[in-house]
Amino acid sequence: MSDITYLPGKEPHEKEHRLIFKNVDRKGWDTSIKTYLKDDGYEMLKKALGMKPQAVIDEVKTSGLRGRGGAGFPTGIKWGFIPPKNTKPVYLICNADESEPGTFKDRYILHQDPHQLIEGMVISAFAVGAHTAYIYIREEFPEAAITLEKAIAEARKKGFLGKDILGSGFDLEIYVHRGAAAYICGEETGLIESLEGKRPYPRIKPPYFPAAIGLYMAPTIVNNVESLCHVVHILRMGGDEYVKLGTPRNSGTRIVCVSGDVQKPGFFEIQVGKVTFRELLYDMCGGPKDGRKFKAVIPGGSSSKILRCNESFKIGRGDDAKDMTFWDLPLDFDTLAAAGSMAGSGGVIVLDDSRRMSWVLNNITHFYAHESCGQCTPCREGSTWMMKVSDRIEGGQATPDDVKTLEEIAYQIDGKTVCAFGEASAWPVEAMIDKYRDELLGETSEDNNFKTLERQEQEKFLSTVH
Amino acid sequence: MSSQIIVPRPRSIDRSKVSYVRLHSPSIRDVPTPQNLNRGQVNYSDTNEPEPTVLEKNVHSPVTAGTVNFPPFEVTPELEKKSNQRIAQYPDDQKRSAVLPLLHEVQHRFGFISPESIEWVAQKLDIAPIKVVEVVTFYPGFRQKAPGKLHFRVCRTLSCAMGGSYELMAKLCEITGIDRSSSDAHTDPISVSPCGNYSVEYAECLASCGTAPVCLVNDDFHEGVTAEKAPDLIAKYNG
Repeated sequence: MSDITYLPGKEPHEKEHRLIFKNVDRKGWDTSIKTYLKDDGYEMLKKALGMKPQAVIDEVKTSGLRGRGGAGFPTGIKWGFIPPKNTKPVYLICNADESEPGTFKDRYILHQDPHQLIEGMVISAFAVGAHTAYIYIREEFPEAAITLEKAIAEARKKGFLGKDILGSGFDLEIYVHRGAAAYICGEETGLIESLEGKRPYPRIKPPYFPAAIGLYMAPTIVNNVESLCHVVHILRMGGDEYVKLGTPRNSGTRIVCVSGDVQKPGFFEIQVGKVTFRELLYDMCGGPKDGRKFKAVIPGGSSSKILRCNESFKIGRGDDAKDMTFWDLPLDFDTLAAAGSMAGSGGVIVLDDSRRMSWVLNNITHFYAHESCGQCTPCREGSTWMMKVSDRIEGGQATPDDVKTLEEIAYQIDGKTVCAFGEASAWPVEAMIDKYRDELLGETSEDNNFKTLERQEQEKFLSTVH
Repeated sequence: MSSQIIVPRPRSIDRSKVSYVRLHSPSIRDVPTPQNLNRGQVNYSDTNEPEPTVLEKNVHSPVTAGTVNFPPFEVTPELEKKSNQRIAQYPDDQKRSAVLPLLHEVQHRFGFISPESIEWVAQKLDIAPIKVVEVVTFYPGFRQKAPGKLHFRVCRTLSCAMGGSYELMAKLCEITGIDRSSSDAHTDPISVSPCGNYSVEYAECLASCGTAPVCLVNDDFHEGVTAEKAPDLIAKYNG
């Protein structure tokens, strides 16, 4: 598609492959339905409505699309989990509660290309048989909520939503539901509780798998914004063609969001597994800031385990195993999992050698202590304890035992909670201690340089007392 | 009983003269003992005012310098109409789902969630007021005290912190004269300037890490706001 031009300075990098972000920062593009229709918009909806719902699901299964929200679960298989003898209404929810630190892909779709999402949602709702769909959008996107509601009204006027869509006999209403700034609402059962008007305490699985018992105890499909947009492109290309993008078991494209200490932070839509960290950070992001060296990378949102830039990994099993340095790791779900981290939601946070690990750790533990919903004791108490211990380490007031205590707390949260928040808060702490233990221990010595002014005064006073 | 302390009802207090007591952090003194059981209770038989409702006794909206910026809560026809539209988004037997949308409607118009508005939302949705209170107190997006005319929400999460959001917050406080020393991320995140025109709050990840540091001013999003740009940002709204 060579006729697409982008705003100056916003052109995609040559290694990018733009599907979802085709219209982001595009010259002459706006959020109106007129612009979207001119660009063959809603054509795939017409195609889908001419197919059987099962055929759409099969197409998505063939494509091998894996959810882009964080867990990487295959979307087509998720859709197949709705009980076959179900008599209750089915709901579709779009998870637009993008709140994983480091991730900012959905922002651009919601603000700049709302019709792509709506088209994807109508097709997905048709496939799973839902007649009501909700977009759960985070409170921090007030502008996007207005844009979406306007887009929904436009689509309804044109007959792409409402009763008897395009004469197919299929009905669908989409509503926008605004959250209220809680990270836990990104967890699908927490999101459902929040949509029901309660505190977003995640439900225990089993039995509350949303596809069987979800919103109002009815089958519910919760998909990320990016995953739903991919459905449009899967129908356009066909599942067989789509699966050729990326690498086996990691098909398609995904948006990688790079932030932190690089020359040119930003978003890049790449084929999954076709770009390595070296290409991403040096070619696409322009390398480290002047006079700095890369130190570590958080590869999939702040919940993923940190990777050292001078690490090497053994990837693969048995005879196929090969040694890879950090720089040669491709960005896909399986390789990053084998390297002990995860691809998560695609938020790459880069740290250079000017960053103290204890400071980073402290910032992250503050985030999780603030966002723990408080339902499970290990997480509610543990996240706050981790915050307090890391406060001490960061302020130069810790003893070497504190590092050990912190690690123990993390391992006592991990795997002992209802939802994945427990792991999300414990993994970064575990990994940072594991990989930067010496650095952290170095800051716990009695003569460290990181003591707060208050502490220095205290020590001065104590020394005069003795 | 002479031992009872008679305090005036909250409504009849001159709001501007009352210092704010933090009511959401229970202390050891709040544990009922025979000595303090009746402490702070009002003897309504001596006054002409009606006894406060359970909600008014338990849910408080502390007065801030920003309270004057917002109209007192009242049910306008427009609010009624908008709320009915929101309720219609959900199945008839699931009206409770509209708690968040209704609270957003209220907060958008009246600046914060007051006990009266909680009562109204509960009535509107046929649910017990506690079910609204539990939502208001959980979500950081709902506030129970009035912010300033300009409410700054500065992102403090990793990428923005690396980009300099701590410095931005310090600069904003310096310009507006806000004292954040008594604020607490959990119980009292919002700090209001003495003049009532500004308030600041740390937000967790505003999802624009690539353009750090970022902040929301009321509903407007601003990216790449380093501390040096803070004066311009404020001037933009005051100009």
